[in-house]
Amino acid sequence: MQQGVRLDRLRKESARAWAIAWKDMRTYYLTPPSLMFGVLFPIALFFTFTVGRNLSSLQSLPILLSQTVFWASSTVGPVVIPLERRTKTFDRYLSAPMSLFSVLLGKTLAGIFFGLLVSIAPLLIGIFIFQAGVMNVIALALGIILSCFAFAAMGIMFASVPTESVGNIMMPLNFVRIPLLFISGVFIPIGELPLIGQVVACLSPLTHTLVLVRRGLGVESFNIPLEASIIALVVTSLLFLYLSFKFHESIKKRE
Amino acid sequence: MVSAIEVRNLTKAYGELLAVNHINFSVSQGEIFGFLGPNGAGKTTTTRMLTCISTPTEGSAQIMGFDIQKQAFDAKEQMGVVTDISNVYLDLSAQENLIFTGKLYGLPKEKRLDKARELLEMFGLYDVRHESVKGFSGGMRRRLTIAMALVNDASVLFLDEPTTALDVQSVRVIHELIMKLNSSGTTIFLTTHNMTEASELCNRVAIISQGRIATIDTPERLKQAMDRVHSVEVVFDSSSSHLVKEMEELHGVRGVQKRGNKLRLLTLSPPEVLAGIFQFSERNNIRLLSVNTLSPSLEDVFLEMTGEEIVERPKGLGKMSGRRGPVGPRRSDH
Repeated sequence: MQQGVRLDRLRKESARAWAIAWKDMRTYYLTPPSLMFGVLFPIALFFTFTVGRNLSSLQSLPILLSQTVFWASSTVGPVVIPLERRTKTFDRYLSAPMSLFSVLLGKTLAGIFFGLLVSIAPLLIGIFIFQAGVMNVIALALGIILSCFAFAAMGIMFASVPTESVGNIMMPLNFVRIPLLFISGVFIPIGELPLIGQVVACLSPLTHTLVLVRRGLGVESFNIPLEASIIALVVTSLLFLYLSFKFHESIKKRE
Repeated sequence: MVSAIEVRNLTKAYGELLAVNHINFSVSQGEIFGFLGPNGAGKTTTTRMLTCISTPTEGSAQIMGFDIQKQAFDAKEQMGVVTDISNVYLDLSAQENLIFTGKLYGLPKEKRLDKARELLEMFGLYDVRHESVKGFSGGMRRRLTIAMALVNDASVLFLDEPTTALDVQSVRVIHELIMKLNSSGTTIFLTTHNMTEASELCNRVAIISQGRIATIDTPERLKQAMDRVHSVEVVFDSSSSHLVKEMEELHGVRGVQKRGNKLRLLTLSPPEVLAGIFQFSERNNIRLLSVNTLSPSLEDVFLEMTGEEIVERPKGLGKMSGRRGPVGPRRSDH
């Protein structure tokens, strides 16, 4: 393919991926499953595990922010895709002139923006009400944006399960999401975990979210270099997106 | 000239089951091609593969010369798709559905708006264009689904049961639209259960059964192939239970089916049977309310080819179709 043709194709694919993302944002952000799993669930879990722990508001803020990003971003795909499978509107994307990768990218973008949107509230509350200072803007911004990407792609990967029921995806997804909270330093500091636990924690993307957010807000965190956390989140994002593509492609072959 | 659709050894397997088994056919540009078959024969699976919704297990297909797997983007730009289910975005309005579809097909903003307006007017949805599709009736959703397939002025239009759930008036509108699109050069791939629809609209039909193409020909030639079997349908002004037996005994009658107050007499020689019916009526002083002769319909061909509910005819006439769909055979009144 010539360079010009490639660029034109890239432009078309990007525009169509964005059209899907924008439509999903308008259509699904306020649906009950999105609000329940993306907004209420992280808040409820936050209060469940922080009340009575004698944490200052500054120490609590990174936990709330990371959790919000984690739950919100990973919720959109698993809510939207089965609903669209049920109404057969997902088939429209497959028969439209765009690649499966662009379809999934569009869905991932919808998850990313949901994560960003929902995380704005705790961030603003932290900064303006609890006087939290932003010590490292880049770490904080990258921590939130890359995590939104990684978790949105994770949600899309789970949404490759060929089902028309949101619950059939949420169940296995929560089997992964909830344990991740316990090994990523959200509720139990990583330093207090046994060595094997600390190694496993380093493999969890949520650990790196928390590391970057804590550093960004100037809160003490587990000793992982910033660069390592950034790379870990980039690699995780790309890996989840790649696996999503492969899983969805495999489903297309089987359906 | 390149074929609009070229299918070579297209196959879809679900484990051990071959849903579509190495099928081959070609559709010329500007043709209306009917794709018929009983439930589970592989019609929708074939359409899903051709429209890139599902990946073939084996074989290949080209749409306007573009391979559906290697050049999927170009192939998909050539097609409009109406699936068997009205897959509209329920949370969007009718206009938003069309505009979003326009975005998926890369239409510029101005053209999207113009096209949406044109299609909303064409399908009688303009007055409800801002209303959520959630509140639409089945027929309205179906019309919107078809409108969405016309957004990109496709060269090849795939219509999977397009008139399902539509009232008679809407069906007529859709049929006229199909003819109009076809006369402007659009190739139509029509999957349908409606034999009259296929017979009236299609240049050629393919009948698929158990994943294999049973036959491909023009509807007329297919019907001619079965022309040996005729029937005469008669209604007497009597409900006597002996009528069936007495009709069976008429000269030339090979079998009798009772359908409500009608009796269908199967025969190789309709004039002979007609004469017998009139004589019987006079002799027994039973008034005739109506008499029709029926020639084989595409439905008969379909049932013969697919073996759907074949039952043994009485009096050794061989096999006959034991089921009739919503539209009966073509008839000529006497």
